[in-house]
Amino acid sequence: MDAAEPARLWRWRAGSVAVLAAAWVGATASGLVPSVFLPSPGDLWDAAADMVTEGYKDRPLLDHIGLSLLRVFTGFGAGALLGTALGLLMGWRGWIDALFAPFIEFLRPLPQLAYLLLLIIWLGIGEAPKIVLLFLAALPVAAVAARDGVRRTSLARLAAARTLGASEWQLFRHVVLPSALPDILIGARLALGIVYGTLIAAEIIAGSTGLGWMIVDAGRYLRSDQVFVGVLIIGLMGVALDRLLVLAERRIVHWAGR
Amino acid sequence: MENKRLPVATSLLLSALSVAAALGLWQFLATSGTVAPELLASPAQVLNALEEILRDGYRGTTLTHNAAVTLGRCLLGFGLAVVAGIPLGLLMGLQPRAGAALGDIVQFLRPLPPLSYMILLILWFGTGDGSKVALLFLTALPIIASAAMAGVRLVPRARILVARSLGASAPQVVLHVVLPSALPSIFTGLRIALAAAFSTVVAAELLAATDGLGWMVLSASRFLRSDVILLGILILGLSGMALSWALLLAERRLVHWHGRG
Repeated sequence: MDAAEPARLWRWRAGSVAVLAAAWVGATASGLVPSVFLPSPGDLWDAAADMVTEGYKDRPLLDHIGLSLLRVFTGFGAGALLGTALGLLMGWRGWIDALFAPFIEFLRPLPQLAYLLLLIIWLGIGEAPKIVLLFLAALPVAAVAARDGVRRTSLARLAAARTLGASEWQLFRHVVLPSALPDILIGARLALGIVYGTLIAAEIIAGSTGLGWMIVDAGRYLRSDQVFVGVLIIGLMGVALDRLLVLAERRIVHWAGR
Repeated sequence: MENKRLPVATSLLLSALSVAAALGLWQFLATSGTVAPELLASPAQVLNALEEILRDGYRGTTLTHNAAVTLGRCLLGFGLAVVAGIPLGLLMGLQPRAGAALGDIVQFLRPLPPLSYMILLILWFGTGDGSKVALLFLTALPIIASAAMAGVRLVPRARILVARSLGASAPQVVLHVVLPSALPSIFTGLRIALAAAFSTVVAAELLAATDGLGWMVLSASRFLRSDVILLGILILGLSGMALSWALLLAERRLVHWHGRG
């Protein structure tokens, strides 16, 4: 609880990163840890430069990134849109909720990769099973968020709008939807994180292109330098995707939290 | 939307009808010849597979063994992350220096898809249980630590000062003031972390394992045993629901005051 001045905290931040970096350099330069397990910073730089200029296995690095992103956006886009629409209806009408809730509640905690294999048997090994997998990963998360958002609409506001003569559609469009929007966007952010993690896992288990496939392939040849570069790219892309949604959230629901 | 809420009985009836209709459609699709039987086993065949596996096991492993192995890995990795993550998060929340030193590492790890570093863990620890438990530990740890840290920030400062001025020692303040106030936030983190660990353990078993429910589904898919795959999916879905309910029950008991006045 000691209130260290924020200005001095950066030393602790920089210090911990410096200690980690020093340990990394020390462990690799001294030969304590073989480079098969932990590549040195130099190895990592060389591998990164090589992958940027030469690509990975006959394909430019940007292709692998682009393919992964395309899958994420298609699957997430379809799942989040349909899930949100379904969730809004589920929150708005109790009987719709009763009809769909059992499936949503079953699908939500189900490990996504469990049904990947079934989708591959049904749809082949192309893009289709991956997109459907991501669609199914995003759908229940978005639906539950939208449903809970609608349910949180203040009754006083609804009553006020009704008294002023608003029709059902106007109530939905001008009262329910804006109240549910912050929840919908929180759900979208959660769903995007899950979709991204699921895609990387799917590419690792059953891919032939994309970032996930790249690191599992490099791992097979014990190229831990390339695995490290791949993991770093995957991490940075994940953060970038999340930031993108935070930005969208700030623009769309600029009133939230005030 | 209070005026639109259905009576509980009506709602349950509708849910039951909807599930029955889905089962009926499934049975029809599987038995009418619309879909090839190796692609979609019927509900009856899935029940038969359950009976057969309970009696004879699946390829030399029993169903209870596979379920116990999967849940065991998941709960061991998650449990270690709880034991390490809650004190870590509390420390990061209470000591700004610790927060500054460790925050970047936790925030780097948290959004990283776990299976991506599974490849490295396999290189380091081999394909045995060690790499899987380490994976699940690393999956759950940053989520729990962040939640505990966020929880500390919500503790009213006045409460800490009151406890201090009444003569509470630092450990007493942490145990009796900070921890209870942070508990609702910690439980939110635990729920997310457990769900993530459960998803991850199945993915890891698909990638490298010789037993467990994930392995069973993978093996069944190689032999086009859609009855066993569907059985595996049903068991995994029900286990996932059971895990999240168990945590919800624990939360209601431990944080029974939350949401009241």
